[in-house]
Amino acid sequence: MTRLLGWWRRIAPTLVALGVALAVTAVFILIIGENPIAALVALFDFGETPVAQANSIGVWINRAAPLFLAGLAVSIGFRMGLFNIGVEGQYRIATVVAAGLGAAIVLPAPLHILVITLIAMAAGAAYAAIPAILKVTRGVSEVISTIMLNAIAIGIAAYLIRSPFVDPELGAGENVATTRLPESAHFPGLNELFGVLGLEEPRRPVHGFVVVAIVVGVVVAVILSRSRFGFELRASGLSALAATANGISSRAMVVKAMLFSGALAGLVGLSDLLGSAHRFQPDSFVAGYGFTGIAVALLGRNRPGGIALAALLFAFLDRAGPRLQSEGIPPAAVTIMQGIVVLSVLIVDEVARRRLRRREERRARAQDQATTPVEVAS
Amino acid sequence: MRRVMKLAAGFATAAMLLTACASDDDGTDDPTTGTDGEGASGEDVQVGMAFDVGGRGDRSFNDSAAAGLDRAGEELGVTFQDLSPASDGSNRDELLRELADGGHNPILGIGYAFFEVMDTVADEYPDVQFIRIDGPPSDRENVAVMTFAEEQGSFLMGVAAALKTETGQVGIVGGNEGEVINAFGAGFKQGVEAVDPSIEIEDQRLSPGEEPAGFADPAGARVAAEAMYQRGVDIIYTPAGDSNVGTFQAAAEAGKWAIGTDSDQYETVGDPELQEAILTSMLKRVDSAVFESINTFIEGGDVESTSYDLSDEGVGYSTSGGFIDDITDELDDYKQQIIDGEIEVSRTE
Amino acid sequence: MDAEPAPVIELTGITKRFPGVVANRDVHLAVRHGEVHAVVGENGAGKSTLMKILYGMYKPDEGTISVDGHPVEFGSPKDAIAAGIGMVHQHFMLADNFTVLENIVLGAEPRAGVRLDFAAARERIEETSERYGLGLRPDRLVEELSVADRQRIEIAKVLYRGARVLILDEPTAVLVPQEVDALFSNLAELRAAGLSVIFISHKLDEVRQVADRITVIRRGSTVATVDDPQATSSRQLAHLMVGSELPTPETTESTVTDVVELAASGLALSSQDGPDLLHDVTFEVRRGEIAGFAGVEGNGQSELVEAIMGLRKPDAGLLRLGDDDMTSWPAHQRRMAGIGFIPEDRHRQALLLDAPLWENRLLGWQGNPPAGGRFWIRPQAARAEAATIMREYDVRAPGPDTIADALSGGNQQKFVIGREMSTTLRVLVAAHPTRGVDVGAQSAIWDRLREARAAGLATVLVSADLEELLGLSDTLYVLFRGRIVARLDPAEVTPELLGSYMTGAAGQEGARFTTGDAAGEEQAARADTEEESR
Repeated sequence: MTRLLGWWRRIAPTLVALGVALAVTAVFILIIGENPIAALVALFDFGETPVAQANSIGVWINRAAPLFLAGLAVSIGFRMGLFNIGVEGQYRIATVVAAGLGAAIVLPAPLHILVITLIAMAAGAAYAAIPAILKVTRGVSEVISTIMLNAIAIGIAAYLIRSPFVDPELGAGENVATTRLPESAHFPGLNELFGVLGLEEPRRPVHGFVVVAIVVGVVVAVILSRSRFGFELRASGLSALAATANGISSRAMVVKAMLFSGALAGLVGLSDLLGSAHRFQPDSFVAGYGFTGIAVALLGRNRPGGIALAALLFAFLDRAGPRLQSEGIPPAAVTIMQGIVVLSVLIVDEVARRRLRRREERRARAQDQATTPVEVAS
Repeated sequence: MRRVMKLAAGFATAAMLLTACASDDDGTDDPTTGTDGEGASGEDVQVGMAFDVGGRGDRSFNDSAAAGLDRAGEELGVTFQDLSPASDGSNRDELLRELADGGHNPILGIGYAFFEVMDTVADEYPDVQFIRIDGPPSDRENVAVMTFAEEQGSFLMGVAAALKTETGQVGIVGGNEGEVINAFGAGFKQGVEAVDPSIEIEDQRLSPGEEPAGFADPAGARVAAEAMYQRGVDIIYTPAGDSNVGTFQAAAEAGKWAIGTDSDQYETVGDPELQEAILTSMLKRVDSAVFESINTFIEGGDVESTSYDLSDEGVGYSTSGGFIDDITDELDDYKQQIIDGEIEVSRTE
Repeated sequence: MDAEPAPVIELTGITKRFPGVVANRDVHLAVRHGEVHAVVGENGAGKSTLMKILYGMYKPDEGTISVDGHPVEFGSPKDAIAAGIGMVHQHFMLADNFTVLENIVLGAEPRAGVRLDFAAARERIEETSERYGLGLRPDRLVEELSVADRQRIEIAKVLYRGARVLILDEPTAVLVPQEVDALFSNLAELRAAGLSVIFISHKLDEVRQVADRITVIRRGSTVATVDDPQATSSRQLAHLMVGSELPTPETTESTVTDVVELAASGLALSSQDGPDLLHDVTFEVRRGEIAGFAGVEGNGQSELVEAIMGLRKPDAGLLRLGDDDMTSWPAHQRRMAGIGFIPEDRHRQALLLDAPLWENRLLGWQGNPPAGGRFWIRPQAARAEAATIMREYDVRAPGPDTIADALSGGNQQKFVIGREMSTTLRVLVAAHPTRGVDVGAQSAIWDRLREARAAGLATVLVSADLEELLGLSDTLYVLFRGRIVARLDPAEVTPELLGSYMTGAAGQEGARFTTGDAAGEEQAARADTEEESR
């Protein structure tokens, strides 16, 4: 009962916030002269045929996986008070390097994927090391340096695709791209799993990399809550001064956290790359996960479980974009709704946090003023 | 940590709202449904169109396609639906599927970026005719690709710029370094050199490589153009999609010239102050290509990949504003030479 | 006939209940015009609740509040302010990047039409400052000012709003001795002007020095009002507060062994400008020994502690732990090797205020089993250990999942000490271990230090409390301007002699450390080190 109550206490503010966000969006849709009810129906419309429904679920999964990884990467920085805006640039660099080097090596299937994954993580971490080093040696704010490095990443990526990684057999009139990854580096899709589950198989590839994302999420959750490194990370985030006084070097933690965050950022682009794109092609490369990841991390309150839910919510809304357009709702409505969700969750969360704090203080005071020391059951 | 979180919240929200605003320029995204026209067999045809990033209302490339679609609605009586992709372009394939599932046929994809996804989706819907504007040829039977000899039109723009420059310096502000924009640039430079090899040409791209962000960066275009004008350039050719308006603003402010692309931007830009700065526009008749391919489809013909050039008016130049009335003879002279094959314009430098 | 006017404030039979506990029970308090009235009691005795009731933040369940003999009811602090009651909180509420003037008028801006009338405000502030000797400079930015200056701004702020009764909540907790003296003379001015001051504290000596009358609160009730503080000894007061004999810090027989556990030789730490922060500091601490370090604040104590803990790298010198040279060890290695640390700033250095107690149990010991480890931590073990600490050190809180910030200062400190001592330690570095805690907690902490000493712990004790130093230490070192100027036997030294060493006036008979030239010297020394630390 108490556990249920505690769980409810934690989840209720979010539900309230979601309700508020929905209401505000409805007002917005009314203002532009469309029907909010129709929009709501469209939001939950997965299509009429089983194939269309399976497709919709596939789109949802494909979108959620990179958002989750991006949110996770951002949250690592947040956990120790670092604002890593550079996930955007880190995953771009990581994806280009993974695509380029991955096409250049020959390995059997599972190993090939593993090596590409490790390359991507190393590249992301290496690019994140730059702001980390600038911060600990020169005191450069990571906010500034990562924003600038995002711009530089676009240039570096463009250079890499042109020079070392360019596909020598490009078709006529084709923009440059990296060489296609061989079959052994294609991550098996989840399409057949749909069949096993008794659903229609989606016609589009459903990226199997989501499984890796889930595993990574669990590992990160365990590291954060159970490892000494995770504890030191959180301690540094809560109070850098107290952490330092207790033997946790804040400089070392900045570097470690940024490397960790960058390594996770390196995974963001792999879902698309290994699942369907199979090469880096700037026109079809999806940019922006790094920025959306900030919102996802905020919405998920920097906890892996929360980030997973937030990524699912964002992907759910994104998925509905084309459907909403058919109903006359501009695609920007989705973005606006996402923004409002994040804002209202944060506001409601802050209010709830303060109330909880006051409650705790009252309880502690009550305890303190009790005439006898209270036996504490462990 | 709390402070960081609050900062982050503000940042994230601002970024999201900004992208929302940017991608929803003037809110003309309503699905426009063509009215019943007098066309005979067009009424039971439902045309679908998926724009490139920026969508309807970019006053340039997408709008040119939209104009062709609107014309097909009016003159051929087709009903149609058009969709715009998310600001990160992540759901182009979903747009095509949404249109196909909605029973639309033919389905047009506007822009190079539909290159791979259209082939993929075309395989999923073998009975639907797909038409792509721009990009490399496709080997799929149900995909037709409409391309344009941008280099030829751009050659004429180069001629116009060379004839009109007073400082002997002209410039290019391009969206990126992709194949299409490189063709624009190469043609323009050949045109300038054909008139006067001593004229200096500055070439700047808003995004490196194939990065598409440069097509939606008016502020960047404005900064780049301002700098060029300060260095003495007096005419800028601007193949940069949505970003063109930035170049126009800089031109109007500096009292110099800019040359638009894709649509007749003197007409599409709307603002009289900016109009005064638009010397001419390189017309890429996407509207014609769209209209004609829909027409072919209705008439039951096979929609085939076509390359439009000067000879079939697929590319050309605009005279709105009357700023180049004095040199049209020379332009037409060059145009004829190109059509006759006396001048060969290369797509690459 | 009773010629005496009605008390400016009179609380009668105030009772305030919180769920499960009675915070105040039948409290009576009468504050006269023009007196400094101290309210003393242990942490958690109900002083703060009472003051919050008086300031309109809580509503009493029973009893009445009268102002000048008229019963009143306060719905919010606004009502209390309107009735002439002002509160100076322990934690200042000032905007750093505003000037003194702006801070004082903030929320009560003088208006001339729609315009802010700063000229009128400035005049009033200067007048107030002059009258009560506050020495305010209206145009200074608050961020440039010292803690004492800020406190005076808070007082001026309250006066500016027309307060006749000022509540000062533990005002001396944040001040150094000279600043305390200055504050007391300000209070005297206020009293002379007919204003009343309610002075909340648990520092009995101060209270006796400044108060006209003292009301003692114990376990939520007023137990006595002392009319003649000077005639009452601290011990008597303390007896009233805790209801038992006052503990003394005196250690019994010596437990010092021959085994050197911690040794420093030639430690030096220079500052970028000005004199060295530490110069040739050499000492040894043996097992079972408490080595006390006396000194006026800012004479190198903090730097010495940080050097021992590995938080600052000395420029020269060696540090040995037992047989190991630990000069180059990083901080966490020193902790893992068994050096416990009670930092001077509990809030900022010792605790993660936003984290639950069990996580705070891990802080500093995250590398040591059973709760911590090389790679993994064990939350369940940490919870169990936190619960043990709470039980053994009488930390009053609902449980290991309570947020540290929710605890009172004394309980926080007991928890910190429990945390440091519940690992097998070789050396304990304790900086001001009983600063800001009440008498009950203080005696418990002293007991713990003595027990650990008897068990063979080598302790470095830095404190500003001379009684604590003299009572606990086996050996007493005096730091002055970063040097050890004396090594004394606490059994033989007199406070006077100690004071003369602390102020650098050693040898001069009768030199005392709180007055005259010596005070000036201290000031200079402090100013020096403040400069340096920037």
